[in-house]
Amino acid sequence: MTAPSTQTTKTASGIPALLKTAFINAVIALVLFSLMVGIRTEAGSEGQLTYWTRFGELASLVAAVFGGSIVIELLRQWIGPAGTEKLVPPALQKGMSLVGRYLAPALLIFTLLVPVIFYNQRYILDLAILVLTYVMLGWGLNVVVGLAGLLDLGYVAFYAVGAYSYALLATNFGWSFWICLPLAGILAAFWGVLLGFPVLRLRGDYLAIVTLAFGEIIRLVLINWQSLTGGPNGVSGIPRPTLFGIPLNNSDDGLAAKLGIEFSPTHRIVFLFYLILALALLTNWVTIRLRGLPIGRAWEALREDEVACRALGINTTTTKLTAFATGAMFGGFAGAFFATRQGFISPESFTFQESALVLAIVVLGGMGSQLGVALAALTMIGGFELFRGLETYRMLVFGWAMVLIMIWRPRGLVGHRAPTVYLKKAQAISSDLVKEGHG
Amino acid sequence: MTAASPLLAIRGLRAAYGKIEALKGVDVDINAGEIVALIGANGAGKSTLMMTIFGKPRARAGQILYEGKDITAVPTHEIAHLRIAQSPEGRRIFPRMSVAENLQMGADVTESTPAERESTLERVFALFPRLKERFTQRGGTLSGGEQQMLAIGRALMSRPRLLLLDEPSLGLAPLIARQIFDAIRTLNRQDGLTVLIVEQNANHALKLAHRGYVMVNGLITLAGSGAELLQRPEIRAAYLEGGRH
Repeated sequence: MTAPSTQTTKTASGIPALLKTAFINAVIALVLFSLMVGIRTEAGSEGQLTYWTRFGELASLVAAVFGGSIVIELLRQWIGPAGTEKLVPPALQKGMSLVGRYLAPALLIFTLLVPVIFYNQRYILDLAILVLTYVMLGWGLNVVVGLAGLLDLGYVAFYAVGAYSYALLATNFGWSFWICLPLAGILAAFWGVLLGFPVLRLRGDYLAIVTLAFGEIIRLVLINWQSLTGGPNGVSGIPRPTLFGIPLNNSDDGLAAKLGIEFSPTHRIVFLFYLILALALLTNWVTIRLRGLPIGRAWEALREDEVACRALGINTTTTKLTAFATGAMFGGFAGAFFATRQGFISPESFTFQESALVLAIVVLGGMGSQLGVALAALTMIGGFELFRGLETYRMLVFGWAMVLIMIWRPRGLVGHRAPTVYLKKAQAISSDLVKEGHG
Repeated sequence: MTAASPLLAIRGLRAAYGKIEALKGVDVDINAGEIVALIGANGAGKSTLMMTIFGKPRARAGQILYEGKDITAVPTHEIAHLRIAQSPEGRRIFPRMSVAENLQMGADVTESTPAERESTLERVFALFPRLKERFTQRGGTLSGGEQQMLAIGRALMSRPRLLLLDEPSLGLAPLIARQIFDAIRTLNRQDGLTVLIVEQNANHALKLAHRGYVMVNGLITLAGSGAELLQRPEIRAAYLEGGRH
């Protein structure tokens, strides 16, 4: 609470000091730029030195430095000296908690209305489906990384298992999407357990390396097992999903014909949109429910302290395996959806970059926070599209944005962790008001 | 204390980390209703004994008998279900989880009814009122003493018969340490809880305990009542003089 006193001492000598700093900076800029910018030299036509002055540019640069240093100094005063807490006015705090409470429902309602609002904008609908796919992947990985604290760099493996499960079952046996979807989830969960067994004793960096290798192994198997997976050529002609057996095409049995409305390819896009939304919400609902149960609490406890877990009678083996299996299952669902949406899959879609992207979404969102992960997926995938106009600089700007977010919000966009156990008369203490300590 | 069969009997227990033998044949008896203190220097094997009771590390030889049954080979996670609770060294509370959730983690082990859980919670709050004040706060935001209270409270939530405490006074101010020891005494007297307490703070621990064991290099070198051990010159020289609070 020393902030106000330092603030007053600063503002007392505020404006003159401000101008002084800005003036000094401007002088330094003048000295530097007078030679670099103010005078331009060039070799003349006969090799002699010619030069001309550019005082206009010089003046504008110095002015920019003067103005810029005032702005920076003001910003610095507003943010306050490093290490001290900023006092947020109560009104603003109230407003922020109000936003926090209604942000998730508002987002959900908006998401439900996206196909209505953007019905004729195919690009936005496709982008929304892509964002939702990553929201679902993020929520799935959140179980493993955010809740159980097991750093998984090979999550894309389960995405691939789900996608290939659906693709192969559907193309070889002609099974419908709705039969294959649970199967894809079960198969992915099975692979999750298979990965889980050898890494039970590993944590942190070591676990990350093994999961990374696991992701690569799956991809290499997909490339090289040509007779089953088609190798690098992938699997094509994957059936589109149907609405309980009614195809969404222009045939006489199609949904449009049955409803007696004019066929439009957008119907299928809208259907896919709601399908992935439902799958993502299922993931979210299951995760939220599990968090309130002993198994979910055990996951979180495992993230915090494995030794304490054992002392409390938690079977760390089954706890880890269920976390891997649950996360993998959701990855498998998302994979099946990916396959049916694309109609074609190949190992190229399941590179390490995908794992890294999903992990970045989880970390950026704030480990363990459902809303945070959704916001991060929107930021990462949507933001990436937003910067498309920047072309070459897209990755650079994107990287900068990520670094800045992690500086401002080191615990992710939503660092607040909602508790799962309440006293009957719960008194709310915001976690932002108390600092973490280990003493 | 002449009970025919002790609640926990440790016979010729050996345990090792790789080639380094930490327990070289330890015999300890803990009778129901007793507080037993285990004292010794750093690296004597006190914590290892406590961990070996929980099966991590596994005993290489010897037996651990609990209520007359051999539990030497019982998996670690099932030992907590036998109503043995442990407050491990260094407290090890869950820092990002609330106090409420930390306590709930302890209760998750047992198949207790909500009413039982409620009454156990009330008991923990009566012993450590600070935990009630801090109920919704995250574990990591508590002070060291409060974290120790939480660690003991969490262990108590499983309604144990035998409580194993590893260095509960570690790193605590003397006043807070005394509060913790008082709470342990209350638990023992009022609730009949049996306690095995590992301590470096020999003075406090031996005053609290009915009986004590002294451990040196993986072996029990002395045993006796708490008061008796406190009078022994070798104990005073090794563990008390200069280290007295």
